[in-house]
Amino acid sequence: MNKQQNPEEISEQKDVTVESTVHLIVFRLGSEEYGIRIEQVKEVTITPEITRMPKTPGFIKGVANIRGEIIAIMDLEERFHINAGGPVSGLASSYTLAIEAKDYTIGIIVRDMPQSLTIPVSKIDKAPAFIQDLNINDNYIEGIGKLGSRLIIVLDIFKILTHDEVQQLKTS
Amino acid sequence: MKSREQEYKEIFIAEALEYYDALSRHISELEKAPKDEKILAEIFRLLHNLKANAKAIGFINISDVSHKLETAFGLIRNKELAFSDNVVNVLFDGIDLLGEMITNIDNPNYKETSNEVLLRNLDVIIESADGAMPTAENGPLEVTKVQREFTAKNLSLSELIYIQIKKLDHMMNLVGELIIDRDRILSISKDLDNPDLISVSSHLYRITDELQFSVMDARLVNVGSLFNKFPRIVRDIAVAENKQIHLDITGQDIQIDRNILQIITDSLLHLMRNAITHGIENPEVRTKKGKPASGNVWLSAQNDRDMVNIKLRDDGKGIDLNEIKSAIVRQNYLSADVVKDLRDNEVLSYIFEPGFSLAKEITEFSGRGVGLDVVKNAIDSIGGRVHVDSQQGKGTTFTMHLPTSIAVKGALLFEVAGGFFAIPLMHTDSVVSLPKNRLHEVGDMLVADIMNETISIVYLDELLNAPEGMMQLGNKNILKGDEQNIIIVTYNNRKLGLIVDKLLRQQDIVIKPLNKPVDNIDIYGGVTLLGTGKVCLVLDVPAITRYFIGKR
Repeated sequence: MNKQQNPEEISEQKDVTVESTVHLIVFRLGSEEYGIRIEQVKEVTITPEITRMPKTPGFIKGVANIRGEIIAIMDLEERFHINAGGPVSGLASSYTLAIEAKDYTIGIIVRDMPQSLTIPVSKIDKAPAFIQDLNINDNYIEGIGKLGSRLIIVLDIFKILTHDEVQQLKTS
Repeated sequence: MKSREQEYKEIFIAEALEYYDALSRHISELEKAPKDEKILAEIFRLLHNLKANAKAIGFINISDVSHKLETAFGLIRNKELAFSDNVVNVLFDGIDLLGEMITNIDNPNYKETSNEVLLRNLDVIIESADGAMPTAENGPLEVTKVQREFTAKNLSLSELIYIQIKKLDHMMNLVGELIIDRDRILSISKDLDNPDLISVSSHLYRITDELQFSVMDARLVNVGSLFNKFPRIVRDIAVAENKQIHLDITGQDIQIDRNILQIITDSLLHLMRNAITHGIENPEVRTKKGKPASGNVWLSAQNDRDMVNIKLRDDGKGIDLNEIKSAIVRQNYLSADVVKDLRDNEVLSYIFEPGFSLAKEITEFSGRGVGLDVVKNAIDSIGGRVHVDSQQGKGTTFTMHLPTSIAVKGALLFEVAGGFFAIPLMHTDSVVSLPKNRLHEVGDMLVADIMNETISIVYLDELLNAPEGMMQLGNKNILKGDEQNIIIVTYNNRKLGLIVDKLLRQQDIVIKPLNKPVDNIDIYGGVTLLGTGKVCLVLDVPAITRYFIGKR
């Protein structure tokens, strides 16, 4: 579908072709809404007990046991330097998204119960000019989804832990 | 439980029957394509192995028949004997005889009736090839027809299966998970205090224990499967180095996990090369020193509780401590005055440092820059330890302490800053409790005199949790309480005391590897789940020691 088309044209075409959609899991970081494609989310659970792991960067909150699998838990607010007034892990209850990366699973800790949301592909602006302006290390933003007045930042989760940062985790 | 010998015999029979099946198949193929050298080579190989295996376990008859057949096929391969009708029949008979002998190993009533004739026939065809005349024109060979009764051959499948080690690894991992869950169930059943649940969970306990033992047992191989490759290797190195070496091997039947043996293979080879090229002196030098001209190397394996100790000893010139000391200074590890005060075993431990080398000349087998650090890393990776002893003029001994099995390890559990940690017992030396006044601030570190040894002590909470650059490793005022629990760990001939907040208990744990992206943090050897479901981090003693030395 051509991105240049205006919304009126799209709704007219809907009768003819079935609009392809994207199913997102949407959660809040700081004051903004973020989304991850549902195929990349293995499960959503109440955050289990996290064992702190010394000698890891601050955004790695530790490891937790999710159904017998021990996975690292990451705080994206800290990772993106979003100031939200106190860390998520300090909350009495929070949720964890288990994300299926290529060859491992990682947990992302979020404040509120994540929502499931379907939006048409055409509503995701894949190449807003500002993304190109962003530092190359920040290219984990896949696009900006718009639904009514809501703006959802769609993340490409595979790029969140860039090679550099994985290397950074090494000690000594 | 079956005796070791019985087990070997069964393995031999099962393997030999497979060889027999393969031989029958290949000879039939060869009959159709007599020129196919690949098939010939394969038959030759099978017979050769069968001969060697039979001889090793003491079935001389089978070994003899295999040997004769091997000779005949050797002649065919060298085109000294034609694969013609008569020869074909004799060879078929010979292979069938092998099969018959193998299937009747356990049959005391079996009489090797047709042997005599058949063996003579084999001799006849072998001798016929020695003659100047090519066999084909030699007219019919004078082979006696063998009347063999083919009493409807028994078809049977092998008693032995081959299995990919990968599948066993997977099984082992699953058993590990099962044990973690079992411990959890056991702990819950104690809390709930339900008699039915308690009885079923204790049954589960026994079953999983047995299951774990069986899977571990299935992965065990004889150390001999590696050791027996050494006589030839030693010979080759000795020839290249112009030295005379006598190799003495003991403990071949000690059993160890196949993967562990695989991992130490290169290390053992490396140590062996070192022993011969650097350890053992030339015959002339040895004679002058009053030693026998031929050098001795001892390779041995021994069980030691849950471990296997593999020892490589030579009676060569030993390691010259002064030479190491000057190399330590030359290669800028330490300054000359620090080196002076090192204890002998500390000096020796430097031979395992990356890049450390004493070699002044490079030979075909040693001194190519691959150091002993590779050996140490390999052994560290499986949670083992390596230890070196050397007496100048008398020889050097390398001892590898290896776990029998990878999956389950005894470990010491403790708490630091509210988190659970474990250290494998393999690396713990002792546990002591000392009042604060026995700890001394020396420079920017803590030391204590423990059993007449001065040992560096580190507060684990500070080492793990203090921000980089703000560590106060030499400040005992940050310690909580008066009595300090100290776990003394050993690594590479060095001791280090770790102050922990609370000692918990000793326990067998199943270590799971950490997943990405936290898999490459050196100081962790993995994680384990406790019966309570809590995650416990397993510290890697070698890495902690290195990290501490780096921070000091």
